[in-house]
Amino acid sequence: MNWFFVLLSLMVFPGGLFLLAGGMAYEWVDRKMLAVFQNRAGPRWFQPLADTVKLLIKEEIIPDKVNAILFIGLPIAALAGGLTAALYVPVAGLTPVYSFPGDLIVTLYLLSLLTLCMGLAGANTLDRFSLIGATRTLTQVFSYEAPFLLAMLGPALVAGSWQISDINAYAGGHWLILTQPVGFIVAVIGFMGKLVMPPFDAPEAHTEIGAGALTEYSGRGLAFFHLAKAVELIVGLSLVSAFYLGGLATPLEFLVKTLALLFVLIGLQSLLTRMRIDQTVGMWWRYGTLVVLAQWLVIILVMRP
Amino acid sequence: MNTKQEPQRFVIPIGPQHPALKEPGNFQFTVDGEIVTKAFVRLGYAHRGIEKAAEERTWIQDLYLIERVCGICSHIHALAYCLAVEQLAHVEAPPRAQAIRVLVAELERIHSHFLWMGVSGHEAGFDTFFMYSWRDRERVMNILEKLTGNRVNYSANVLGGVKFDLDKEQIASIRSGIDFLEERTRHYLDVVATDFMFLQRTRGIGVMSRAQAEIMGAVGPTARASNVARDVRKDAPYAAYKEYPVDIILDERGDLEARFEVRLKELFESFYLIRKILDTLPGGELTARMPRKVPAGEAVMRVEAPRGELLYFIRSNGSDKPERLKIRTPTICNLTSVVKLAIGHQLADVPMILAGIDPCFSCNDRSVQIRTSSDPDGRMLSWDELRQHGIDFYKRLEK
Repeated sequence: MNWFFVLLSLMVFPGGLFLLAGGMAYEWVDRKMLAVFQNRAGPRWFQPLADTVKLLIKEEIIPDKVNAILFIGLPIAALAGGLTAALYVPVAGLTPVYSFPGDLIVTLYLLSLLTLCMGLAGANTLDRFSLIGATRTLTQVFSYEAPFLLAMLGPALVAGSWQISDINAYAGGHWLILTQPVGFIVAVIGFMGKLVMPPFDAPEAHTEIGAGALTEYSGRGLAFFHLAKAVELIVGLSLVSAFYLGGLATPLEFLVKTLALLFVLIGLQSLLTRMRIDQTVGMWWRYGTLVVLAQWLVIILVMRP
Repeated sequence: MNTKQEPQRFVIPIGPQHPALKEPGNFQFTVDGEIVTKAFVRLGYAHRGIEKAAEERTWIQDLYLIERVCGICSHIHALAYCLAVEQLAHVEAPPRAQAIRVLVAELERIHSHFLWMGVSGHEAGFDTFFMYSWRDRERVMNILEKLTGNRVNYSANVLGGVKFDLDKEQIASIRSGIDFLEERTRHYLDVVATDFMFLQRTRGIGVMSRAQAEIMGAVGPTARASNVARDVRKDAPYAAYKEYPVDIILDERGDLEARFEVRLKELFESFYLIRKILDTLPGGELTARMPRKVPAGEAVMRVEAPRGELLYFIRSNGSDKPERLKIRTPTICNLTSVVKLAIGHQLADVPMILAGIDPCFSCNDRSVQIRTSSDPDGRMLSWDELRQHGIDFYKRLEK
């Protein structure tokens, strides 16, 4: 592979521009369908793009007494994390650009980068809403991250490989949602927690703490965080549907499966009341982690030769 | 040497500009992690001097001013004012007018409770509930518009009666609207009583015992959810409530869930009352003759606003203007309970507890507290001091 194709795959397709556009398209589907379920009109199709452009041309205000390098760097790191993770995932049903044994773990950690960066960004400023939001964000990371990781490792266990493309190929013949339903549910709910979707939006509960950890962000930083979230939406959806919904082999399969999964997420978002942060933590550590561990035990016992 | 170190205070301000409050009020919650340890309320951001302005206007002009005390319960304010002035002038509105007054008051209660339901759902992060209840609220707003011509300030009252009559078509549209709303209310009652996720945020939150409610002087649905049987419609029936009695809805639990259920069950009483009024609407005149000047004297009128007891005090000196007008709105009675109940709860519960009393700030602000950077605790000003402060302030500006 010469340098030109490397650059192309990083910057335009399937990384870079394609991911940003796809992320914004999925974000629009999310916002529009949620609005329709809630009896609202919802945004027009180009609204996510318009929001991004508007934020990018706005002045970025750096508050007093913050670490300016961190303040500017964290949104970039968050977006970079999401974009890098996409390189190992069969986005759009294509073979991942890069692949090596164990890339599943790397991808999962890259996906956590967004939430970590948001928490740190909140803790970096002196704003009281940001600090409470940062505390809640980091608390939420520690509650859903472990069960989510375990749920994503379930398919790896049965596929006998920790390489995403291998698992995707294995899942092509096995609908793991049927054999590991618990893992699927935990993965979906954990993914909602990761993206701070309702009902897990306590870290940015508007009626309590304004915009949470990102209260002090405006302009470019905020745009990057929003883009990172949009990218993570598409990457996470691909990952979960590749593992549990029979693999992603073609672009059509990708569209159908990820959109179907997104509709499930939208339905849950519109049906449920926001959980308090202590309730979120309680739910994951009292039930989520335990059921996933129980499923692991079953898998290991069944797979024993 | 003093070794005991004062723990650092971490104060979360809610308001005067904050997404949780659509009206200006300032609450300061000292938190330890997520737990609220201290609460403080500061009001006065929406003080408009209506009581003073009323003294400068005639009895009839005041009617228009009074309607604008509150944007949600405009009718009940005008009703209280009219009843008090009629009491002073020894005039009684005809029975048909009294019945129509009650009809509009109950329609207003429905609109207010639906509005509150949506806002509380939004505070809980249940936006679907918010959107649906506000969509259904449009139905009662349309009824009010059809009846009176206005959606918000209905201007139904005149001194000595009401302005409009009901025709057959209006009665039919009220009936069909009430049927629709009753069905929706049943659904919402089902949601707030059974939805597991919603109950997690309301059950056992902000519990106010009966003794607490009585000490803090809670009024309206907030008090009734703590099993305090306090309802002016029942205790001291005004307008046509003697002919159309209501049942008091009580709940023993005193938490947010009880406040939801009490308000929703009250709606069924309103539906029942409206149907009964439409069935047995007395005939006759709409207005009684009212003198331009009201005889000297004092009158106190209590009515049951959607949020609780609303009190009007009026003193007349025999001229065509009131000498003094005093309004006490239900929110001021209930606010102490927020400050008290929030302590020990999670920060996330605070907006819910605040919304639980259905606060309405602009009608409740009565005084201004001056705070400057050199005097952060502020001081209260009497009327003369405030006047002097204003004179000095502008003199300084001129220099």
